[in-house]
Amino acid sequence: MVMGLNLRTPLQIATLACGFAVAVGMSPSVAADDVLVIGAPLALTGGLADEGKKQQDVWKLWLDKIEAAGGITVAGKKMQVKFVEYDYQTDGKRAGQLAEKLVTDDNVDVLMAPFGSGHTKIVAAVAERYQVPMLACVASSVSVYDQGFKYLFGTLAPNTGMTESMVEFFKAKKPDLKTVAVYGKDGVFPKAMATALAASAEAGGIEVVYNELYAADTMDHSSAVSAIKAADPDWVYMTGYTQDLILGRKQLAELGVTSPIITMVTGPAYREFTEGLGSLADGVTSATWWHHATAYTDAVGPWSTTASFYEDFKTAFGSDPDYVHGSCAAAADVLVNAVQTAGSKDKAAVRDALAATDILTFYGPIDFGDNGMNQGREMPIIQVQGEAVKVLYPAAIADADLAMIK
Amino acid sequence: MDIVQILLNGIVLGSLYACIAIGFSLVWGVLNVINMLHGSFIILGGYLTFFAWQYFGINPILALPFIATTLFCLGYVLQYFFINKVVTAPVLTTLTLTFGLDMILYNLMTVFFTATPRRVTLDLGTLNIGDLYLPVDRLLGMGLALCLTALLFLVMRVSKIGRAIVAVRMDRQAATLMGIRVNHVYAITFGIGAFMAGAAGAVFSMVFPVTTNLTGVFLGKAFVICVIGGLGSVPGALIGGIALGLIESIAGYTIGPQNAITVGFVLMLVLLVIRPSGIAGVKGYE
Repeated sequence: MVMGLNLRTPLQIATLACGFAVAVGMSPSVAADDVLVIGAPLALTGGLADEGKKQQDVWKLWLDKIEAAGGITVAGKKMQVKFVEYDYQTDGKRAGQLAEKLVTDDNVDVLMAPFGSGHTKIVAAVAERYQVPMLACVASSVSVYDQGFKYLFGTLAPNTGMTESMVEFFKAKKPDLKTVAVYGKDGVFPKAMATALAASAEAGGIEVVYNELYAADTMDHSSAVSAIKAADPDWVYMTGYTQDLILGRKQLAELGVTSPIITMVTGPAYREFTEGLGSLADGVTSATWWHHATAYTDAVGPWSTTASFYEDFKTAFGSDPDYVHGSCAAAADVLVNAVQTAGSKDKAAVRDALAATDILTFYGPIDFGDNGMNQGREMPIIQVQGEAVKVLYPAAIADADLAMIK
Repeated sequence: MDIVQILLNGIVLGSLYACIAIGFSLVWGVLNVINMLHGSFIILGGYLTFFAWQYFGINPILALPFIATTLFCLGYVLQYFFINKVVTAPVLTTLTLTFGLDMILYNLMTVFFTATPRRVTLDLGTLNIGDLYLPVDRLLGMGLALCLTALLFLVMRVSKIGRAIVAVRMDRQAATLMGIRVNHVYAITFGIGAFMAGAAGAVFSMVFPVTTNLTGVFLGKAFVICVIGGLGSVPGALIGGIALGLIESIAGYTIGPQNAITVGFVLMLVLLVIRPSGIAGVKGYE
């Protein structure tokens, strides 16, 4: 049983109803045949504003590349690409409403899902109802994809693959690894990751000595951290969003937890995590769906190599791209590839082309399974070492060895 | 020893909760205004402290008086020029106005500062006594809560403005007839609430990540603490905060962190039924 009082939410809805909602972007009426219109409800304000901005930024970069090439070629003719974006203000219900507007008012040809498994689940229901193909680039929970939807496809790999490879890797690096404490946020993605890790650990012969969830509005972890300290695990595995993980890592240190391995999913994948923790971030491990150190070549789309995407991104934004940027740009590549394969914007044909997708992008291979999730991914394990984020696994792209926290 | 650590965790956390609630309780109790801006005031105080530290190297403790005073001025202006226009209207009107103002402030902060969690990484360490661990920054927050409570208590009891605030709360018309400038007193009161929020934000910038995501959480906590501790009583916020902190800490350890917040709400509901004025509230303020 979870209950939280966040006074903003109900009143936000009331305000939205009164017309405070702000829509951004274009609002075309009926799209011409030579224009591929992509609809995207984005969290540009509210709690997920940073993540929504990442999606918007990388799609802008992607669109610039497409426009520089004069558009995309479909059935021998040039086709332009346009995005229609609305700010859903990090309100899941609003995301669903705007997705419906994108489909019925703006007549978009395809949808891009917003950030996170929870909101993707909401928008996916709309896409399915109207039979509009939808690409989800930041949703990895299997529970999003196990609803029997035919029009939903995701570029992230399932969470379970991430936890199994992590257990295997840590056991190989630390053979005396016997116990783990699992502490996860009660949200769609963090809960799925915590559950998957606990299952993978037990299957891998590691005893789970603490396994609890925390509620969404938790602003203190001291009681949980004290219980973890009493259990004295070799490995602490915590999931949540960046602000939760910053607080959790700080309290682990303050309350004397000395486990040699601390994993925070997906903390170190974000620059905000290391900046918010300073030296306390050192040694924290995580898994991520993509790292720019990967080196794919001969990829489809405007970036034929991982390096070329990295260079363009660095030039445009002055910082390193993370998995959100990589996955979302690749989702756009996949979409264009499907339209080209289908030879038109016909939604059913594009859907079938997406289902048959088996391509290599700069982000890695994309091969959708029966449930629409990408099956073709080997996910890196990363660790903060000093001020840098190093790749520990897979061996092909590793640039450091696992360092224990002292 | 575990239980001692849990109790200490709860008391220290409760003191931080009290920091959140003191200003909110004052404004609600005296002005009968449910200040929906309160959570955003705390986060604004946190952001200002963070930027003062990041760009000018100012220690959060040194910055605290300036940040809190800045928030006081902001609160005074908002009350004097906006909320005073509707302060005698039903509580839903003032709630809607402060909610609208909060939406503006919240989104301005998100636009200009982004929702990226930021923290003053000035880790002050931990006081270690045997097997007990007490984070210094939280102890500092506890000290601040106690000082603010004592200061506010004294201001309300012995100062001229404090007596004027109490008089206005008791009978606005009589206070006007006695020569009290009611609108000014309202603005001062709201300003004090914002001052408390700014001070809490300055300390919180070292303890919690500062992000606009937390404004609603802070507001929710303030609401619960006021109901538990009681309105119209300065020590009520402190008592309510510590009570909530202890309950959440014990519940988190014994029945799991997932249920800790729920237990706090159950306590609030029970109190609403059996003692609507709260643990230390003043009758007539419920």
